[in-house]
Amino acid sequence: MQPPPEHVHWLFATGFLLLGLCLLAEAVVGTEVWRRRPWRAYLWPGLAFGLGVFMWPVMVFFTSSTLHMLAHGVWAQVLMLGGATELALVRGKLQSSWWRLGMTSAFVVSGAAFLVHEQNSWLFQRSSFLHHLLGWTLLAGAVFPLARCVRPRSQAVAAGFALTFVAIAVMLYCDRDVAPVFGHISPQAGTPHR
Amino acid sequence: MISAKNAAHFPRELFVPLLRSGGLRAAGFAAAAATAALLFPAQAFAHATLEKVSPGYRERVPSSPRTLVFRFDQYVKAVPGSVRVYSPQGSVGEIRARSDGRHMKASLPRLAKGGYTVRWHALSGDGHVISGVFTFGVRTAAPPVTEAFGASGPTTTEDVVRWIYFLALALVVGGLGFRLLVVRGPLTPRAEKRFFILTGIGVVATIDVGIAAFILRAEDALQLPFGRLLYGDLSPIAHSRFGAAFIAMTLGFALVAALLFLAWLADRTVLLWPAFLLGLAFASGLSLSGHSAADAGSSWKSELADWAHLSAACLWIGGLVQLAFVVWPLMPEARRAAFLAFSRLATVCVGVLLLAGVYLSILRLPHLDDLWTTGYGQVLLVKIALVSLAFAWGGLHKLVVVPAVAQGRVGGRLRRSLMGESMVGMAVLLVAAILVNTNPPARPTPSPPAATSVQR
Repeated sequence: MQPPPEHVHWLFATGFLLLGLCLLAEAVVGTEVWRRRPWRAYLWPGLAFGLGVFMWPVMVFFTSSTLHMLAHGVWAQVLMLGGATELALVRGKLQSSWWRLGMTSAFVVSGAAFLVHEQNSWLFQRSSFLHHLLGWTLLAGAVFPLARCVRPRSQAVAAGFALTFVAIAVMLYCDRDVAPVFGHISPQAGTPHR
Repeated sequence: MISAKNAAHFPRELFVPLLRSGGLRAAGFAAAAATAALLFPAQAFAHATLEKVSPGYRERVPSSPRTLVFRFDQYVKAVPGSVRVYSPQGSVGEIRARSDGRHMKASLPRLAKGGYTVRWHALSGDGHVISGVFTFGVRTAAPPVTEAFGASGPTTTEDVVRWIYFLALALVVGGLGFRLLVVRGPLTPRAEKRFFILTGIGVVATIDVGIAAFILRAEDALQLPFGRLLYGDLSPIAHSRFGAAFIAMTLGFALVAALLFLAWLADRTVLLWPAFLLGLAFASGLSLSGHSAADAGSSWKSELADWAHLSAACLWIGGLVQLAFVVWPLMPEARRAAFLAFSRLATVCVGVLLLAGVYLSILRLPHLDDLWTTGYGQVLLVKIALVSLAFAWGGLHKLVVVPAVAQGRVGGRLRRSLMGESMVGMAVLLVAAILVNTNPPARPTPSPPAATSVQR
């Protein structure tokens, strides 16, 4: 018995929202204050790493198409990679801030996976719109982890980074079965259903 | 240790720096994007998904079904040639399919007793053609979907992928075994780093190569060009024995990857133990889905023997790699102890390999002449020859080198010799990969074989 895909997306949306809020809190109060409790430094990277681990069951149990399976596999790996590099930076196992490129590449690869995965245009139907929006948000949002490599103290960059996760969470929450607003935009997209 | 390198000063006015630095503007943009997304709630991501089919996957039905009914999670359209049904002899004839909202139905001619393969395509609401394959049986057991009509069986690419999979498994399981059973004490920082790099490569490759193997097997069953394979329904393959092993092993090795990373991050060698035990346990997925589990004459004993055979090979070859590439170049002071300890482990591994290998060979090839008269037997002969070479090499180390090393005389050529032995081990794995993908000769069984079995 599998849960509906949207329920899984909502669970991950909750994870991303928590992650984004942790980052936002750190951006608002400053890193020094945020890390007065040492465990807090591990909070968001650990959450990202954990979300990556929990993406694996999604990949192996939702095999309705090869493309979805591959996309979820990619997201699982880049989330683990991004979280792992940030955890190692916090722990001091990695020193150079250029390791933050791990998160940048996670954003770029995730965004590309969304865009490659969606082959219809933006306004074909609602799911196409959301796929494009998520893909481009992630690609544009990759600027923030990239900027963190060169301007690690910038609060604007930190806030942008945090809000990208919040935006992704909101988009994932939008994946639901009720209250359609857009309806079917393209006549080729078929008759309304569900 | 917490890195304070990037720590910012605590702002007196919490939000002022954010305002000044333009953080709020960025927040505004992101909030606008989020609001836009909220305004346009979307449906479940995905193309149409097949929710239910009648007859079901591998269902045995008591009489010929009149129709095939597909129920999708969203609107679909039938396309020309949407449904094709095959018996082991070929197509059962023209099948006309019609769509009705979320359903697609196809009327069937009267089907005789036997196994049938259904290949279907449908136009999803988003314009993509989705495809799938499944099997059912009329008054007999249905063939596994991996043996559906038209599936040609493992290709050379699958042999190579299987080989890389074995190598990756040896790197991770053998590497962990070496670290925990042979070199138990602390490693030098450089050796520690190389150990984690090698086992890390092994675990990532195990996961990714496993995914590639699953998709290759699905490609063979679905018989689709790449573009259509992307939208192919893999659920029937996931429900097969091979699919169950893929699911279990992917999840298991994802956990192994996480534990390996945490062991490195926290400098806790103790975390390598659960990683090692999980790796060993989930390696059994191959034994529980291969010849030792599925072929005639298989039992829990053959599955156990197969798992022991695989585990011993992984420990031996993975350990050799660690000895040659980690201890030898980076820990000269530990060479002697490591070599002697590994020699003891390798002796046990070779014993297990031999016992399990002989048992499995007798099980699969009950007649001696099967060795040279069947394809499986010929591949096995090549493997036996290579294994003999590896054993002779290992024996040379055991009888000649170990006493020399015990007396403190470590030759400079020993590393090259270890590398050579591990290369032979890798060649053995290549032949093992081909052997796994080759069907052993059929064994006479008490009951006649099902009429649905598809010759490959």
